[in-house]
Amino acid sequence: MSQFTQQVILGLLLGGVYVAVALGFSLVWGILNIVNLAHGALVIIGAYITWVLFTRLHIDPFLSLPVDALALFVIGYALQRGVINRVIRAPLLFTFLLTFGINLVIVSLLLLIFTGDFRSVTPAYSGSGLHLGSIVIPYIRLGGLAAALLLAGILWVVLNRTRSGTAILAVGADRDAAQLVGVDLRHMYALTFAIGAAFAGVAGGIISTFQSITPTAGDPYTLQAFVVVILGGLGRVSATVAGGLAFGLIEVLGQSAPGLSSSYANAIAFVVLVVVLVVRPRGLLGRLA
Amino acid sequence: MSVRRATYLVAGLALAFLVLAPLTSIDAAQQAGLPLLTDKLWFRIATTVAMFVVMASAWNIIGGLTGYASFGNVAFFGLGAYTAGVVVTNLNLPFALALVLAPLVAAAFAVIVGIPLLRLRGHYFAVATLGVGVAVGEVVNNIEPLGAATGLFLPIIRSDLLFFYLMLGAALLAVLTTWVILRTRFGYGLLAIRENEEAAAVIGVNTTFYKVAAFCIAAALTGIAGAIFAQWNSFINQDNAFAISDNVQMILMAVIGGTGTVLGPVAGAISLELIIQTLAGGGSGSVFSQIGLGVLLAVCVIFIPRGVIDFFGGRSRLSLRYFRQTLRETSV
Repeated sequence: MSQFTQQVILGLLLGGVYVAVALGFSLVWGILNIVNLAHGALVIIGAYITWVLFTRLHIDPFLSLPVDALALFVIGYALQRGVINRVIRAPLLFTFLLTFGINLVIVSLLLLIFTGDFRSVTPAYSGSGLHLGSIVIPYIRLGGLAAALLLAGILWVVLNRTRSGTAILAVGADRDAAQLVGVDLRHMYALTFAIGAAFAGVAGGIISTFQSITPTAGDPYTLQAFVVVILGGLGRVSATVAGGLAFGLIEVLGQSAPGLSSSYANAIAFVVLVVVLVVRPRGLLGRLA
Repeated sequence: MSVRRATYLVAGLALAFLVLAPLTSIDAAQQAGLPLLTDKLWFRIATTVAMFVVMASAWNIIGGLTGYASFGNVAFFGLGAYTAGVVVTNLNLPFALALVLAPLVAAAFAVIVGIPLLRLRGHYFAVATLGVGVAVGEVVNNIEPLGAATGLFLPIIRSDLLFFYLMLGAALLAVLTTWVILRTRFGYGLLAIRENEEAAAVIGVNTTFYKVAAFCIAAALTGIAGAIFAQWNSFINQDNAFAISDNVQMILMAVIGGTGTVLGPVAGAISLELIIQTLAGGGSGSVFSQIGLGVLLAVCVIFIPRGVIDFFGGRSRLSLRYFRQTLRETSV
């Protein structure tokens, strides 16, 4: 029984990471209608920034999260304003291919700068955890979950309580109408993508605390972010949180099922994806399209 | 003579050259000073180009004609390769049998995943198929009789000529299939689905059957290429049989060349593969070739969304105005 409880807790903690990864992905998809295949690469840029700050300046990984956010915000704004805005009205295939190209360039540049060696961030407390009877809760995982939930809260406040956030939602609802009432589309698109990238950067910082990073380590997270958004439903912050936690649970419990192991992680994600798309296409909490 | 005729003439001459030149011995080719075919490396590149012609043309049938951008066609390639591997290595049967079985296995798999997945559209279909490619590779990587993480070794057949002709034959088959499809009722049905699926259904196109059939044909052709690749390379594993980069390359080739046309994917496959080989062969290593590929992808998508085939046959002129116009059409 305590074995099962431990698995559930680990699942929820892993789910926190998925929430962090999927928030920005969901925002960009919902508002800009872009499935950003470079999302995983942006996540890994964040992870490398945290790693550099940790190894060179000995800054605690959780304290470097705002730096990740700021750096990725700038990169994201430039990418959308300079490149992706050029094909935003083209058919889906083109934005898809473009973001794949961006992913390829970022991953290759990271490979040039940081080489393919495994890098890890290991603060002094990385091995310890909270002991509750026979159940162990690692501190870094707990910190990751807390940071992810905080991110979700921030995103909700930004979207619903600020002028820019309302403009972003307006663009998502009807871009022509938004333009008619004076919303600057180019700026709003770039701002949306920048926020999505900033969130990806923070997710990368969180990921670097428990997983060794390489330039290609972000690729699986793109597929997983997609599954989380499908599972939760598009267009609401709460849906992404629900989807992320549910997916974390499914993955941990699925891998501990007889006959399966962590080498089936992508296959499990894919099966979840297909089942949800066929059985409940709008996700757990999604609105009707 | 129109540009269109000239294009066909050049294509025909190039094809005749490709088919006939290797028949003369390599010595004779060298004496006659024929370019390209005197070199083993160029043979390899020519076979690779033909392989991508098959994959790009096959992708074009589901992605270009039907409008369902599959990102998982590499699964069919991998399944074809592993079918050949099992037939030749595990069952000790002749390679010719593999060439028959591989497309059947790939097509059967296309039916199984196609029926649920072809109900999805746009991003959903694209990412779901991307998942198919990743998941099938991962499952194969876990199966012990298929060599698991080590991969499968096939008995080596040393004949550059044989594999070149096999790939060329598969490429011709793929192009011919596209040409035939575009001239039949079936092809018009696929185009109707691409333009407006509801309208197609209303006028009596059995959309599910048409889509699954198109997916199947694409899978079968890709499966053949996979089988030939397996025997040619004589070693297959998850990385070379289920390479995600192959997946994107075939799509990029079809897009660069021009989707929905017969010769677009061929033009795209030839030009892109030669560019990739040049970038990779420049001594700078694969990292720069990846960066080059990524930048090329972005430039093509932004500036020539209708593909280079648009410039042939007098449809458009390659000019600064053309770039500016395509840019204006798609940007905000």
